[in-house]
Amino acid sequence: MALDYRKCAEEIFSHLGGKENVVSAAHCATRLRLVIADNSKMDMKALEDVEGVKGVFSNAGQLQLIIGTGTVNKVYDEFLAITGLTAASKEEVKAAAAAQQPLPKRMVKALGDVFVPILPAIVASGLMMGLVEALGKIPGLGFADTDWYGFLDMVANTAFAYLPVIVAVSAARVFGGNIFLGAVVGLLMIHSALTNGWNAADGYDVWYLFGHIKITDSYTLGQINQLGYQGHVIPVVISVWFMCQWEKWLHKHVPEMIDLFVTPLCTVFVTALLTFMVIGPIFSGLETIVLNLATVIVKNPIGAMVMGAVYPATVVMGLHHMYNVIEAGMLSSAGLNTWMPIASAANFAQFGACLAVGLKAVNNKTKVIAIPSSASAALGITEPAIFGVNMRFFKPFVCGMVGGAVGAIFGAITGLGATAYGVTGIPGYLTINNPVVYTILLAVSGGIAFVGTWFVWSEEAPAPKAAPSDIPAQPSKPQEPVITCEAGTVLAPVPGKVIPHTEIPDPTFAAGVLGSGVGVWPEEGIVRAPYDGTISSVAETQHAVGITGPGDMEVLIHIGVDTVAMNGDGFQALVKEGDEVKAGQPLVKFDRAKIKAANHPDVVVTLLTNSDDYSSVSFPGVVNA
Amino acid sequence: MLEFKCVINDELGIHARPAGQLAKEAKNFGETTISVTKGDKTVKASQLMKLMGLGVKKGDEVTVSAEGGDEAAAIDAMKAFFKNNFAAEI
Repeated sequence: MALDYRKCAEEIFSHLGGKENVVSAAHCATRLRLVIADNSKMDMKALEDVEGVKGVFSNAGQLQLIIGTGTVNKVYDEFLAITGLTAASKEEVKAAAAAQQPLPKRMVKALGDVFVPILPAIVASGLMMGLVEALGKIPGLGFADTDWYGFLDMVANTAFAYLPVIVAVSAARVFGGNIFLGAVVGLLMIHSALTNGWNAADGYDVWYLFGHIKITDSYTLGQINQLGYQGHVIPVVISVWFMCQWEKWLHKHVPEMIDLFVTPLCTVFVTALLTFMVIGPIFSGLETIVLNLATVIVKNPIGAMVMGAVYPATVVMGLHHMYNVIEAGMLSSAGLNTWMPIASAANFAQFGACLAVGLKAVNNKTKVIAIPSSASAALGITEPAIFGVNMRFFKPFVCGMVGGAVGAIFGAITGLGATAYGVTGIPGYLTINNPVVYTILLAVSGGIAFVGTWFVWSEEAPAPKAAPSDIPAQPSKPQEPVITCEAGTVLAPVPGKVIPHTEIPDPTFAAGVLGSGVGVWPEEGIVRAPYDGTISSVAETQHAVGITGPGDMEVLIHIGVDTVAMNGDGFQALVKEGDEVKAGQPLVKFDRAKIKAANHPDVVVTLLTNSDDYSSVSFPGVVNA
Repeated sequence: MLEFKCVINDELGIHARPAGQLAKEAKNFGETTISVTKGDKTVKASQLMKLMGLGVKKGDEVTVSAEGGDEAAAIDAMKAFFKNNFAAEI
């Protein structure tokens, strides 16, 4: 019976929650692939019941409806006609699916992508800087006055002093722009003609590009602060992101003949203006607000706690440059820097969280980043830990915020303070007024973050494709075809002697009630996919899997006869319903000895359950007794 | 539409073999849509893979329904099938 394509498409559409809810549509050989804006508005169950739809599942932001070869394209055409959507390529659907991830998640991911490649540079600098600064603060040693100090200090702080350049190059690569233009933007942001960002508190000059039209008391239209972005990350990433979009747009629209000189020129010019006129003022405005707020709230312990929590977030935003102002102010008015314990608690908590990640991570790549990053954080240089590790996994970052908050309120209540400013973490011992209490503060904040991370964070499970190591990637013999029909070929799920289904020692299978096919007396204990397809069912007792493949072939692989009675003992399914598998991929591991012990034949029943739908089914691998 | 509820008493539930027989039986009523519901999941009885995917075990309650065509005959056949093959209490 032919399917009414129009009706099928209409019914599908009626369960999707309106036209606005369908972002895009594409199809492959057997499936209609849709991107849905809001999954809660559609009716999955009703979709499954639509005539012509053989299966529905949602995967990686995509809704996939299995319809079948030769049919799906016709349903798709009708679907487009009904919805008025234009045809999207599979890639577009995939891209739209990626865009379905929530924005903050995508932003954190982009930040991680930018930061991970540059970690070696900043970890090296961070460790060196921590050590050199600590040595320099040791009273009586006089190291700070030596030429060695001058030289090492320069080497150590290079990556940080010019961080925006490194970040800009990496960001340009991630966002698909020209990395040299990215470098120009990064260099521009720390140009030596500008006042160093770390010295912002000393004041800086301003250019007025459009005269003196005051918008507010502190902001004039078109004003450009002659202030560098030393130590900044977020404004650099934003600027370069914009640059890349703008550059790509220009490449597309500028005639090729003049592209080479027009595009880079316009790219740099517009990005520079935007960076200094819009992005710059926004961040320096935010910095001022944070500074004013911080100065007020840290006067009581609750405020200190809040500050301890948000401190790393201000580091992320690059709003921490002016904290020295607060510290200097405290020293001159009260003689005691009570800001330092807050910063120390926050930083040391990031250390604790990062260390927990490093010790718990199984993935070696994560480990080798997290351990040295945590060492750097212990010395008060937290950027590698925050950007390279904690932010990427996010949960450790939050645990760090909690640890920082508790440590900060503890420091405020106990009246802890420093007699100088500039160092936190372990080097902080050199300036602190009470080393014993300071030890408790570090232990509390770092400990809470460590324990929290240890329990809350776990490494994302490695891709399920990575089969357990005791399963060989390849069967001991190449897979031979056992069933062929006009729709395609079914390969032997396991090597061994192939018999026709009529010889399977079970009346139901032998009678062909479940379709025709073969039995294979297995020579090894791993069932592999007989073709590229989708797992349509896995028995709860794991002894049978159904798999849909090319041309809608449905193959049931049933391991052994009556093995359902073993209730899963001796069987381990390696896939789940809805998984896409490649021919040869391990599906189920089974224990032949256990099947034998339970007195069941271990023949692997391999049946084309819809063999009635095909006219030319043959069994090439069968060995006649 | 006609339907009945029953509790599966067979030790092994609806596993591959009886599911195949059930699918075959259901296909005899081509004009009638026979479905089996367990919890909030409903599948067509003629679809072997889906039927197995329900994972019906001993003691589970399922609803069997027939709609269209000769639904009366279909539901009678299903009642008989479930009684004989799954020791179902209807």
